[in-house]
Formats: sequence, structure tokens, C-alpha cells
Amino acid sequence: MSVEDPYALLDKWLNAQELLVVGKDVTRVDAFQKAVGKAYFTEDYLLKEALFVKQVLSPYPHARILSYDVRKALDIPGVKAVITAKDIPGVNQVGYALPDQPLLAEGKVRYVGEVVALVVAEDYDTAFKGVESVEVKYEELPYLLDPLEAMNRNDILIHEEIGSNIAFKTKVVKGDVNEGFAKSDVIVENEYRTHHQDHIYLEPEAALAIPDMEGRITIICSTQYPHLTRDIASKVLGLPSSYVKIITPYVGGGFGGKDDEGPLVAAKAALAAYLTGRPSFLMYSREESIAIHPKREATVIKYKSGASKDGRLQAIDVKIIHDTGAYANRGPFILWRATVHASGPYEVPNARVEGFAVYTNKVYQGSFRGFGNPGIQFAAESQMDLLAEKLGLDPIDFRLKNILKEGSTTITSQKLDHSVGVGEALRKVAEASDWWRKRREYSLDTGRFRRGIGVGVAWHGISTSRGVPDWSNAYVKIEKDGSVTAYTGIVEMGQGAPTSAHVQIISELLGIPPTKVKVIFGTTDAPDTGATHASRGSSIGGIGVLIAAAKLRERLAKLASEILNVTPEEIMFKDGRVYSKKDPNLYIEWKDLIKEAISKGVELSATGYFFLPKGKFDDVRGQGFAYPAFSYMVVISEVEVDVETGVVKVLKVWPALAAGRILNPQQVEGQLEGAAVQGLGYALMENLVFDGKGRVVNPDLTDYVIPTIRDVPEIQKPIYVEDLFKYGPFGAKGVGELALIPMPASVANAVSHALKTRVTSLPLTPERVLELIRSSR
Amino acid sequence: MLTKIPEFNFLKATSVDEALRLIATHSNYKLLAGGTDLLMDLRIGRYKPEVVIDISKVMELKYIKDLGDKIAIGSLTTLQEVLESPVVRGKAPVLVEAVSNMASWQIRNMATLGGNLCNASPAADTAPPLMVLNASLKLRSLSKGERVVNVNEFFLGPRQTVLEKGEMLTEVEIPYVKDAGQSYLKLGRRNAFTLSIVSVASLVKVEDGRFKEVRVALNSVAPTPVRARSVEQALIGKEVSYEAVVKASNEVIHDISPISDVRASAEYRRKVSIVLVRDSILKSLSGLGINVR
Ligand SMILES: Cc1cc2nc3c(=O)[nH]c(=O)nc-3n(C[C@H](O)[C@H](O)[C@H](O)COP(=O)(O)OP(=O)(O)OC[C@H]3O[C@@H](n4cnc5c(N)ncnc54)[C@H](O)[C@@H]3O)c2cc1C
Repeated sequence: MSVEDPYALLDKWLNAQELLVVGKDVTRVDAFQKAVGKAYFTEDYLLKEALFVKQVLSPYPHARILSYDVRKALDIPGVKAVITAKDIPGVNQVGYALPDQPLLAEGKVRYVGEVVALVVAEDYDTAFKGVESVEVKYEELPYLLDPLEAMNRNDILIHEEIGSNIAFKTKVVKGDVNEGFAKSDVIVENEYRTHHQDHIYLEPEAALAIPDMEGRITIICSTQYPHLTRDIASKVLGLPSSYVKIITPYVGGGFGGKDDEGPLVAAKAALAAYLTGRPSFLMYSREESIAIHPKREATVIKYKSGASKDGRLQAIDVKIIHDTGAYANRGPFILWRATVHASGPYEVPNARVEGFAVYTNKVYQGSFRGFGNPGIQFAAESQMDLLAEKLGLDPIDFRLKNILKEGSTTITSQKLDHSVGVGEALRKVAEASDWWRKRREYSLDTGRFRRGIGVGVAWHGISTSRGVPDWSNAYVKIEKDGSVTAYTGIVEMGQGAPTSAHVQIISELLGIPPTKVKVIFGTTDAPDTGATHASRGSSIGGIGVLIAAAKLRERLAKLASEILNVTPEEIMFKDGRVYSKKDPNLYIEWKDLIKEAISKGVELSATGYFFLPKGKFDDVRGQGFAYPAFSYMVVISEVEVDVETGVVKVLKVWPALAAGRILNPQQVEGQLEGAAVQGLGYALMENLVFDGKGRVVNPDLTDYVIPTIRDVPEIQKPIYVEDLFKYGPFGAKGVGELALIPMPASVANAVSHALKTRVTSLPLTPERVLELIRSSR
Repeated sequence: MLTKIPEFNFLKATSVDEALRLIATHSNYKLLAGGTDLLMDLRIGRYKPEVVIDISKVMELKYIKDLGDKIAIGSLTTLQEVLESPVVRGKAPVLVEAVSNMASWQIRNMATLGGNLCNASPAADTAPPLMVLNASLKLRSLSKGERVVNVNEFFLGPRQTVLEKGEMLTEVEIPYVKDAGQSYLKLGRRNAFTLSIVSVASLVKVEDGRFKEVRVALNSVAPTPVRARSVEQALIGKEVSYEAVVKASNEVIHDISPISDVRASAEYRRKVSIVLVRDSILKSLSGLGINVR
């Protein structure tokens, strides 16, 4: 095996004895710039000569486009272009999972807010006037808003070419559910409903496309996957990918939303730039953002589960329906994730799970922190509480009897051979929260304010599902003065992957301070690193950085060993010095070593390509290898419910995480807190309201309510179980989405405990809670 | 949906006289104080004025004065100034309580007391406290000079007041109320920075164990902020007891006419109005050292 074998290098660092920078609270390099408002976001790059792009949106949920009349708009002085589907030089097809979605509506519109045309003008106001002057003639069509209705109707088809309103189906079948239920002493069956959620990133969608003199286009944009953004933009323009360059500056929050919408915004700005030959800028208003971009899916989940007297789960039978909205987008992948995670992190011998992604004439479903998982974990964890109650067991004791451990098999019959820390996390956090005492004590509350304590346990597969290829990469080079530049496609959207984790990894491996390391992120100049989604930026994204840096270290260790006349194995890199572990007086300064390398012909640049090994998955039976590993999260929530007003206060939250190595505890804590609050907002107040035509009634921050700091509970210091993962950098698995996933379940279980009534739908607005109390009487 | 801000002429007044002259000569105008309501309303196309007259720099209307038996607040005083005023805190704590939960620090530093009243939103948070305090409003115009209107007669409907064309609000006068318990309770969709679903202000005086004075006002449950006269009447003269308060609070449904909107249903508003009225009166009582159950 070569010393530069990526698997060997990853393994070497997984088992490193002592770490100097990784695992420490290292301050991220962008902290100061952001704190003082100096950091640049897409809009800050706006050029004086740029044209403004505004979008013409569909007023109808479902209609045929009969004609466009753009003459009036073009007559307005300052309007440079009006772009519709027919003006697209390349391919007007941007569906991610299925080829069902045009960039600009073609033939039909399928939701209120669908983009029909672009107006490009000298300034914002003129673009606005242009939008008002574009005349589109529609023929209204009957429409469908309810997924349960849509899946059973064929007389109205949202996508005729598919022949049904079911966009996609999934299935997992393990063992024999009938047998499992026959063995069950208790059976619980319920229907759960969850709702849409908007990302409400601080920075709305934006892109600035700049054509250059050689026919290339550079797009500065707020997106989560520069390489995919480039591929989509170049396809729309009909240009080779290499003619489009993406620069992603700091992103003001993504949460998955810009994974879907980012490339489309970039493609629209690029289209305007390409057709006018001028730099073009497109930025959504908040109202447009909420109306246009994909949302967390609404779900209907029918869940039946059974357990035997000894407290063992015997079977689950689950039907998951996702309201996919007008386009499939990433809906099929989201549905896959929900399907495979339907059991929760428990051993279930018999399982049948069926998933349906259903088209409706509403704004479509997309990626959102948790990716299909918060809804299904809410259902699964509610069922766990109900089963425990029927069995007369404490909810956590019951969970611990069934929790996944090393050697367990999942509902896809995948054997988990390592990195399964969820049981330990659950035990520890139960103790830290004084669970058993509170659970008994709060049950006795009878007054106006009822306390409750609830748990949510979740798992989240790392990397892409099944055999879908996933890889990491980065390009790292050491400059002549010993400083280091790294290139990655991972973006910085608040989470700090490239500005903390990646910097720490390089600093650790090469023994130089973080201030000497510059990570250039979010650029197509880096090798394709995959997206910054699925909790993968620091972990999988970090592998490429680690391997490239490790290759350089191996080369330099060899060189140093020759110079110092010791073995390469005893060479240490620390504090800008390279020395022998056995005799620290035998050393060479890092800077001098680099000079030596240059004079001796040692290459000082490397790429860190790594392809994640995966197993086989049989889509027909829904059995096989689902993910290389899982991260696990437990959240215990304590609530107080005012039974007269229905107001739920979340008082305290205890998080516990099993996500392998914690590369930077401070950053991870930030992720857990942010995700917990976003999950709490989803569970309690965030709610997208549609009118009878599928139009969003509250597309603004007056009426789409998210938590403020005053709604944030006391979040306790997280408990970490570092269940190292062999294909993660230093064993890290991934954190970003985790704390959100069990949050709705945790809060709903706590409220159910307080009210002694089962919550089956969200959000728990005061009004909903009062209804729940009334209906339980 | 957001539209662009319509085009208008922008004029700036630096004194009350100048402002009055400007509004006397234009017919389709809007006054701009802090602009925290007006700018949004322009952007959503609610108003299309030909002229916007900026009065934010009319310094003579920015004051809080203790006149010995009343407090006088200039209409352009910001909410943050009201919040931080020891005089208001001492004599009209219910107003401070209401303002402390309004908007955010940034907005409160722009938003004016006069703007909150003249905007006449059914959800205006300074209205219920000023109504239970029986505040008077000084209105001025070039043609009619000054007139005084009780705040309880000021609101006519959503975004409608007794203000006539050419007339502006100059001062809010709050008479001292001695020995009164006061409180403000706001129920919104989150704990801060949000419009209310229902809010209740109450003010009570007790003599010889009986309710001597009871004033209750609510927002967001009718076309305008409203007084709960039925509740007040049910209590005045009654012996103070928990049961009396509970019974009287139920009467609030005769005073309100809530609608269903994206914030809450009419039914929910009716239910929690009863709860909040009761809680607010009990809280006002406990401010007097009277704790019934
Ligand atoms: C983010 C945000 C949060 C908010 N939260 C709350 C809240 O919690 N509670 C609440 O009640 N409100 C809230 N508001 C609304 C608003 O801030 C207040 O109503 C504020 O007091 C308005 O004052 P202003 O000076 O900004 O008024 P402006 O917007 O300047 O004016 C409002 C209206 O009153 C008229 N006007 C202003 N001054 C006078 C005058 N002296 N004479 C005659 N007419 C006049 C104007 O022409 C205009 O029609 C919020 C607003 C925002 C943007």
C-alpha cells in the first residue's frame, strides 16, 4: 500500500493518540469579520453597472399559459429584456430527482408563485414596472391542494406526462409484519400530521452574474453546492460547464433551502447576463422568497406498531405521504430518507414502510435541515411513548430495551458494525435531566400550569442513501513562505465548516497555527467536493482536506527524517517546527523544511480525493445497505402548558449527541443550539398558511412567526458520545441537522405528558393546544 | 405582496406651524413620524399619497412633562423614551408595561407614541393602557385650532380616527390616578416582537373592600381597541372577590367582536379574552396588595 493511500491515511488519523488543535474550542477565523459587520455577502458585491432582474410570478395554482405579451414592458425606457421559456438557449429543465421542472414555466404553471418570466432593467424600479406590464394570458385549470385527494385522482393531473399525481414511491419490507403483530401484546395505531416550514434565512436568495470577454460567465451567488450550481447554469445557457465559474461568498444561512433554490437563482441571473451581455443581479424580497422557494414537506403519516410484554418492539407498519407540491425537486430523496428512518433508532424485526411523494398545486417541497426526518421521527417517537404507556414502562426504559447498538440490524437489514453511541447518549442525558423523578412528579400536576418532560431520540444517516455515490475532495498547497492555501467546494453559511473545522484539520496535520491557513471555500476552482448539505461540510467535506494535508505531511515527514537522520515514524509537526519525538532537539523549522522541499523537488500540492465505500441496496424489496453510518441525537425537553390559554413554554432542553469525533466543541454547541431553536419554532409556532387557491397567505415575517431570543429555553451543555466513524475525518460523522430532528418529537412528547393527551399534529399553537385539551375531555 | 414604494413628493416640516400649514395646503398627504407603520403600508400599497410630510424632526413635540396632576407627552416622543421615563413609570406603569413588550429596541427608537395611536391599528399596544388611564389627546389644525378628544372616543375603525384632514395629534395627556392598581397582559404568537392575538389593560381602585373604579380595555378583538364596559359595570360597587372577578370577566364577550385571521380564530380570541381580562384584573388587584385566591 502506498503511503498516500487515502483509506490508510484516514485510518491513521482516526487512531491518532494525541490531538493538538482538533477537538478544541479554536476560534473560527471569520468570527471577527462577522461580528463587526465586515463580512461580504452576495449583495455586497453588487456592481454599479449591473442590471436588475425581477420575476413575473404565476397568480394561479394551475393554468395553461396561452400567450405572453411583452411589448408593453419592452417599451418602458430602461427595460433591457423580458425572458421567457422560449428564450432559453440551453435546456429549460432543472428537476433534481425527476426531469419534471422548468426553470421558467413552459406550457403550464403549477403553483401560485411559479416563475413565468424575467424582466431585466437598468434599475430596480424599472424592473418592477416591467413586471407589472408583462401580460400573460392563462387558461385556468382545476387544481389539487390536498395530497390525500391528489393521490387518488387521475382526472386532474399536475404532470400529465407521469399519468398520476404520485411522483415517487418508496418501500422497505423486512420480515413479516403480520407475524410481528401476532406476537405483539400491545398495538398502537395513529395518524400524524406535520406541516410546511420555511427556512427564513437572514439573507434572501441572491446572485450576480458577470459575463467576461471570453464568453465565460462568473456567478457570485448564495448557494450550497457551487459545482451543481455551475452544472445547472451551464445547462440552461447551453455552455460547457468549464465556461461557468461559481463564487460563493459568505452565505447568510441556507438550511437546505439554498441547496435547491441557489442554483435556480444563479441560472436566472446568468440567463439575464448571457442574453444582455451585462452583469445582472437578482435578489428575492422576503415575500418572493417565501412564495417561490421550496419548503419542508407537509406529511401525513399512518403508523401502526406493536410490542410484546417483555418490552420488545415486534413490528411496524408505516405509510408516509409527503405533500411534494408542484415539482418533485429532491422530494424522492427526502422520501427515501423518511422511509429508511421510519423505525427510529430501534431494532425492529418486522417492518413494512411505504412512502408516497404526491404532487399538489402548492409551492414545492425541498431540502430542509433534517431532510424528511423530523416528521417521521415525530411519529415514531410518539408511538414509542404510547407503547411504553400501554406496557406500563417508563418511556426511556422502553427505548433502552430496543435501542440500536453495535451489531444491531436496521429495518433495511443493514448490520451496524461500529459507531453506534445512541444508547449511551440516551442513558446519560436521562440521568443529567433527572428524568425518572420529573416524569413521576410532573404527572401529578393538576393546576392551570402543567409541567411535562418528554424525550425525542433520532438517527440520521451520514452521506447519500443506498449506493448513490458520495465523495470528498480538496486541493491543498503549501506556499513558499510556509503558509497554506486550501480549496474546497464546501460553503460557509454560518456553520463554520471551512472557517473552523477545515482550518483546524490542516493546522493539526502540518503543525502550523490556524492564522497561517487560508481556506478558499465555495468555489468551482476547487475540485468537486459535493454539496454543503446532509450535515457533511465539516465531516465528509473535511475528509478531502485531511487527506490532501496528510499526503503533504507524509512527504515532508520523509524529507525531514532524511535531513534529521531519524525514522519518518518519529517525526512530529508542532508549533511551526518539525522534530523527532524521541529527541526534540533534533528539529528543523517548518519554513526551512519548505525551502528544502522546494530545492529537493518535493511536490507541495495535493488533492484529497476520497470515495465513500458503500454497499448494495435492493430498491424493489427495500433492503440492504442504507448509509455508511448514522449520527444520533437525543433531546429531552421540559415544558409548562397553560391549560387556560394553551400557551406552551419550553423551559429547558437537554441535548445529547453521538456524532463521532467533536472537531470543535464550541462550533458543535452553536449548531445544536441553533437547530434546537429552529426545531422548537417548527414544533410550536412556524406555520405556512395557504388559502383556497394554494397561495401562501403569510409570506412575510409579520405573520410567518419564528422564535426570537425570548422564546429560547435554557439549553444545557450538550453531552457528547464520541462514537468514532471510520470514514470520517478523525472519526467525525456530522452534526448540522441533528438537534432539529428529534425536537418536534421531544416537545410533542413533553406536551403530551403534561396534558395526558397524545399530540398527533403540529404546530402546537396555543389555539391547537386548547382544542387538544377540549377534545380529550 | 410587496410592491415598490409609490412615487410621491417629500416635504419636511421642522415646526408644528409649518407642518400644519403643509397639511392645510395638500389634500392627498400622509404624515411621517417614525415611519415604522407608514413605510410598510406604502410598500404593500395600502396608501398612495401624493405628498409625504416628514414631521420626525419637529423637536417641539418630543417631550415628557410632569405637570403635577398629569403627564403631558408630545406626540413625537419615541416609544423608547416613554419606556425609559421615570415619570411615566411612576404615574402610568401600565403604559410602560405595554410599551416594554412592543416591537424591538430598534423599532422603539424610531416609533412614536402619536404614530401608534394615529395609525389606529386594532392591535395598537399603547391604546388599551391609555384608554384605561383616560388619556386626552390634543389635536390641532390651522383652520380649527386646538381641540381635545378623549382617547376612548378617538378610534373609529381600522386605520380610522376622528382626525380630520389638516389635523394632527400634538400631545397625549395622562391624568394622575391615585391608589390604582394597573396591569397589561399581552398574548401573542411568541414571547416578544409580535402583534397581539389579544391584549388587556386594566386599572382598578378599591375602597372598603369594594371595587370603586374598574377600567378594562382590549386590543385585537374588535375593529378598534375597545373598553370592556360590561366587565367594568359588573364589578363597580361589588365586593372584591375571586368569584366576582371570574364572573365579571365572562361579560367581556359582549364588548368584543373578534374576527378570524391568520393570527387566531375569533373563537380562540373570545376564549382567551375572558382569561386575560380576569388575569389582568387579578394582577391589578395584587398591585394594590390585594390577593384573592
Ligand atoms: C417590526 C415591527 C414591530 C412592531 N411591533 C409593534 C407592537 O408590538 N405593537 C404595536 O402596537 N405596534 C407595533 N409596530 C407598529 C409601529 O411600530 C407602531 O405603531 C409605531 O408606534 C408607529 O409609530 P411611527 O412613529 O413609526 O408611525 P408612522 O409610521 O410614522 O405613522 C403611522 C401613521 O400615523 C400617522 N401619524 C403619525 N404621527 C402623527 C401625528 N402626530 N398626527 C397625525 N397623524 C400621525 C401617519 O401619517 C401614519 O398614517 C411594529 C412595527 C414594526 C415595523
